[in-house]
Amino acid sequence: MKPDPKIRAVHFVLAAVFALLAAYFFFSTSTAVPSRAKIDLVDKSFLNTATWRKSYADLVREKEDLSDFDCYGCHEKGTPPTLRFDADQKLIIPSEHKDIVMGHGTHGRNNNCFNCHNENNLEVLSARDGREIKFSESPKLCGSCHGPTYRDWEAGVHGRTSGYWDRSKGPIDRKLCVNCHDPHSPHFPGRKPAPGPHPLRDQPVAHIELESHP
Amino acid sequence: MSTPENQPNGEPETPGMSRRSFLRNSAVFATGLAAMAASLRPLFETTDFPSSEQFLQKYYKELNPEEMQKVLTRIEGEVERQYGIRPHVRDYKPMDGVEYVYCLNLTRCIGCRKCVHACVAENNQSRDPEIQYIRVLRMPHGSLDIEKAEHNYAPEQVPEKGYFYMPVQCQQCHNPPCVKVCPVHATWQETDGITVVDYNWCIGCRYCEAACPYWARRFNFTKPSIPKDRINPEMSYLGNRPRMKGVMEKCHFCIQRTRAGRYPACLEVCPAGARKFGNILDPESEVSRILKTKRVFIQLKEEMGTSPRFFYYFDV
Repeated sequence: MKPDPKIRAVHFVLAAVFALLAAYFFFSTSTAVPSRAKIDLVDKSFLNTATWRKSYADLVREKEDLSDFDCYGCHEKGTPPTLRFDADQKLIIPSEHKDIVMGHGTHGRNNNCFNCHNENNLEVLSARDGREIKFSESPKLCGSCHGPTYRDWEAGVHGRTSGYWDRSKGPIDRKLCVNCHDPHSPHFPGRKPAPGPHPLRDQPVAHIELESHP
Repeated sequence: MSTPENQPNGEPETPGMSRRSFLRNSAVFATGLAAMAASLRPLFETTDFPSSEQFLQKYYKELNPEEMQKVLTRIEGEVERQYGIRPHVRDYKPMDGVEYVYCLNLTRCIGCRKCVHACVAENNQSRDPEIQYIRVLRMPHGSLDIEKAEHNYAPEQVPEKGYFYMPVQCQQCHNPPCVKVCPVHATWQETDGITVVDYNWCIGCRYCEAACPYWARRFNFTKPSIPKDRINPEMSYLGNRPRMKGVMEKCHFCIQRTRAGRYPACLEVCPAGARKFGNILDPESEVSRILKTKRVFIQLKEEMGTSPRFFYYFDV
């Protein structure tokens, strides 16, 4: 049976198209992965497991500068320092202690140095009932007001515990209150977040502003 | 002998091959061959074929201790060849009387994402393309609607006013949907509650990724890239050894740390102490105390019936 010349022409054209496509696929480099934005390594500061602050015990252990704790280098023994307040009953911080930011308690109401420091011996702290507490045992002082938090901390529920969850395998490393909280201003300051997931595009994804519920 | 052209209908009358049909068939054959070669081209560009030992390796649960030792030694060699660092690969087994639970304090989390990157560093995840097990969701105060969550937040400082943060990772479910769908049993739940993946047994079908309601599983679309100086050499078979192209991976509660008695990496880097981990079968552990005394708010997507071992709670 003689094939229709039209059909033959179609077959011929199709064969040619397929041959060209095969040649194109064989010689093209389009199998290479398309280039995309390079992802930078994260800054190592975000991998640091150290706490925000160093406690007195850390400073002693690491043999760091303890001059801030040498109270009687400047103060005189036996004479309690006088506190001065402005008209709003806000504590006036002397220039020698200008690195201290007072912000303890709602509206900064815990603004009397001698609520925690011992006015008769500046090298120790003082609980509300007058007991002397060493700087290295400061959680006891914090716990004299923050009872439930102290209870949680003792149980390992508040604050970070590092080391071994299985106490039979190794020790637990419990951080002190002052490892994270500045006692003069215990609320955490804001900090820069680590980079988020990479959008895999050169341009960051447009942020969709979500309406908040009324 | 007459040529086909001289035939009145252009075709030979007798069976056999004419010049015309030979040429036509040759052209069709050559085209077909070229097309097949083109389709096989990616195969020629592949260089990372598995070794025969790797290819013929038995299923994790069928390996006896001597075979396991051989496998671990082989993996150490493979890692050294690829990354130039001699690692220490071990196979940690679950401990008796231990079931892991994770608790996360939503009141404390500040959304700094340090856990995300500590996890990547500990578990040898691919840096480029990026694979991360933890996703931190930012949600507006007053609701717990995942639909309103945002994970691309990038403010100057966290925490932001009016928002709270909720890190999500593998929930280590009691009733894990990912395990049910795996056609080759390459993922299963261990007796201490950790759902693990045998990377050598995984066929890369990604059913588990589709089944997981928490988007906790990640797929290696390419060979992971990890800089040599960021490799963590303490490795485990079911945990953080470098993965191959085409396999699934997920959070395994840092199996190489937790089965050695240590805390997971995400917990040890948390600057707010929001993460708590421990043995729920020990009534004195931190997690037991939290579940007993704190306002444990949710297991995420509780209605799915997955019963996670990951609890979110609040305190004051």
